[in-house]
Amino acid sequence: MTAWIVKSFLLCVLNVATALFLSPLCEGIMRKLRAAIHSRIGPPITQPYWDLLKLLGKEDLRSTGGMVYASLPALTLASTLLLAALIPLGTAPPLAFAGDMIVVIYVAAMSAVLIMLGGFASASPYAFVGGSREMMMLLSVEPILAMALFVGAFKARTLALGGIQNWQVQNGPSISMAKAGVAFFLALQGMAGKLPFDIAEADQEIMGGPFVEQSGSRLALLRWAMWVKQLVLVFLLVEVFFPWPHFGNYLVDLVATIVKVVIVLVLVSVIDVINPRLRIDQALGYYMRVAFSSLAALAFAVIGK
Amino acid sequence: MTATDRLTVMRVEELIAARSNGGLLSATLPHADTLQYTIEKRALVRVVEGLVNELHARFMISVGTDQRPVTGDFAIVQLFSLDREHLYVLLESPVSEKDPQIDSITGVVAGANWAEREFQDAIGVHPAGHPDPRRLLLADDWPEGMYPLRRDFPYNYRPPRAENVRPQMREPPSGATVMPMGPFFPVLEEPAYWRLFVEGEKIVGCDTRLFYNHRGIEKLGDSVLTYNEIPFLAERICGICGFIHSTCYCQAVEKAAGIEVPRRARYIRTIMLELERIHSHLLWLGIAGHIIGFDTVLMQTWRIREPVMWLCEQISGNRKTYGMNTIGGLRRDFPDEIRPKLLQTLDKIEKEAIAVRDAIVGDTTLHARTKGVGELTNEWAKKICVVGPPARASGVAIDARIDHPYAAYDELPPQIATQEVGDTWSRVLVRVTELLESLRLVREGVLTIPEGPICAEIKEGIPPGRVGVSVVEAPRGEAIHFVQTGGDNRPYRWRVRAPTYPNLQAMPVMVDKANIADVPITLGSLDPCFSCTERLETLDKRTGEVRVYSRAEVLRLSRMATRGGGVR
Repeated sequence: MTAWIVKSFLLCVLNVATALFLSPLCEGIMRKLRAAIHSRIGPPITQPYWDLLKLLGKEDLRSTGGMVYASLPALTLASTLLLAALIPLGTAPPLAFAGDMIVVIYVAAMSAVLIMLGGFASASPYAFVGGSREMMMLLSVEPILAMALFVGAFKARTLALGGIQNWQVQNGPSISMAKAGVAFFLALQGMAGKLPFDIAEADQEIMGGPFVEQSGSRLALLRWAMWVKQLVLVFLLVEVFFPWPHFGNYLVDLVATIVKVVIVLVLVSVIDVINPRLRIDQALGYYMRVAFSSLAALAFAVIGK
Repeated sequence: MTATDRLTVMRVEELIAARSNGGLLSATLPHADTLQYTIEKRALVRVVEGLVNELHARFMISVGTDQRPVTGDFAIVQLFSLDREHLYVLLESPVSEKDPQIDSITGVVAGANWAEREFQDAIGVHPAGHPDPRRLLLADDWPEGMYPLRRDFPYNYRPPRAENVRPQMREPPSGATVMPMGPFFPVLEEPAYWRLFVEGEKIVGCDTRLFYNHRGIEKLGDSVLTYNEIPFLAERICGICGFIHSTCYCQAVEKAAGIEVPRRARYIRTIMLELERIHSHLLWLGIAGHIIGFDTVLMQTWRIREPVMWLCEQISGNRKTYGMNTIGGLRRDFPDEIRPKLLQTLDKIEKEAIAVRDAIVGDTTLHARTKGVGELTNEWAKKICVVGPPARASGVAIDARIDHPYAAYDELPPQIATQEVGDTWSRVLVRVTELLESLRLVREGVLTIPEGPICAEIKEGIPPGRVGVSVVEAPRGEAIHFVQTGGDNRPYRWRVRAPTYPNLQAMPVMVDKANIADVPITLGSLDPCFSCTERLETLDKRTGEVRVYSRAEVLRLSRMATRGGGVR
């Protein structure tokens, strides 16, 4: 028992550390890619680390008082790190237990809810509009995430993420899981706040929305949280919906997973670069259609495809 | 003058005589295309009604002049254009100092709103019955009762410091909240303050305070600078279309003084004007992309734009602010030896511009953000007297290059690009078509440029008391310069109207019932240029040290700077 606890604890620490320290690197790669498509040289891929370091050392300017406003950035990062501990990052999920999938759905929504609350607590009209947009995005994206995971749960007859993953590895690709995976991928763009769905931040319209009144170390934590969330969700997509090819050798599988994660990140950032920002009503309409198509995935799962 | 022209002139004259009810004091023809009428101010509104409703005249601008040293009165000139007939109509009304007010024509022409507020601020003639007579031009802390464009007002007067002043803004309708945009905002390159009244994300009204950049250029023009110094100042009215303003000013003076500009100079002016349109439209396309979060468009169009700037530099010595124009022609000749390189660059730009156009036209997300957004109906475009691409995108086929040909446009006529819908997408299409058309014009101009002198010889001074109206089709629309010559080697009055001035007045109509998210791109689709409108610029000149860097060196230095190498 103790050994199991120690092992899970160590795995948790490993996952959290991976998410924490690799996510800026991924962001750096994405920025470099963006620059390449822009015909720019772009910043070095280590730039996000320097950004964080610089922001962490900056003065903390507060536009309003209040516990909510001041403490939310730390909570947001913590929620994304908790998500990291619940999700397989190249290994089995460290905090695995029966029904952990339900927890994942809740925890994945937490950071968006916290950012939204932070926006409402900032006493700025831009943050307020940003907060309400964040809420609308969450309401339209979250059901897709849940639906996609439920397709897996239905197929594997388990509510444990690890169980779904194992079932996928053993049974190979299926139409329903592929459709669910695609729906998840489309929702990912919105959950990670990437174009054309960075509507809640929309620098040119509402000056960063919920982030407009955040500065210094609190802004650093929020940025970091967004990067962690983006990386962790990509891992979730790759590990649960596309776990093949599975070689059985741990190291080879890890390399394969990393390659797949990078591919997905590249796709996400290419979509980000070649699209203008949608309006919130257009985004809601788009995700409504995605949600209905993910219902089709559930239907396929019911007929056993 | 042809027979049809004479017929039109007679019609205008008859109409004004009939409508002014005995108030027509004089009718003159300063130039073949300029009709000037002096009418009593009581007849103004009726005459304007006739001009606008019967002859479809387009209001251009009002000019308020302090004529007290000459005639004893103020003079308000309302300037109209008969676009199809290629005529300007000037309605001048004397306003006595004892009763400094004149009936407002904003009720007849909605587009006269700002123009009337401006002469109220500048010379203190009140437009009676104006629907919104708030301060427009002067700063909020400027003392009441001080009118800077009066002749007895010193150009270097500094008002005392004022505390706790605020712009007079309207209150939002009940149930709506205020969403401020500005005075400093990411998508506004220059200060401008919009108060959007919103219910949720829907806009139910808006109010504006602009002219934060006013720097008194017109006052300098009639009190400090001389005729030949003003082109340099005019060029600094705008950071993008500087050549347009210096050309427009020079043309106005040339017209007033009856100076014939050599053909080669007119061709070179045309080439430079079209090069400015090319780089301005590419710049706009990039900014519009940036506003809706499409930075790839920004980066690519600005990359394509860069060779245009190098061409300008090779022709004039500067990327921008060329200092080439002077009264009577140019100060610098076109270097014929760069012709092959210029043509080659134009081909490359054209190829890339077409690639960008094709990419844009096929982008459905872009359609989603621009189609049906910021719609300006044909009716409103005419009422507000909008000019340039916003007018043409709303089906108002006006283009100063065709309606009032200047420079060499009589020999190199452009194809006018129009659209009917009037939304942001139409404005994109109009500008992209114009961009390609300008490339063709530059190419033709370069190929057919005649030999000869570049500046007319001016033997005698410029006679006082003459007027000259000149327009130039800037990338943003028609720029107007009105010059009344004076006796001391400088204009008695120099009036500038940039194209953004009428176009910005269309904003409240365009954003009505829109979504907050659409406001930046709607404003952006007008390609606003606040400094032109407000006639201000800032200049940062830190070191006097001269060191010439080659392009490669500059590029290397700037890249080093971003990598922490440091330049200083």
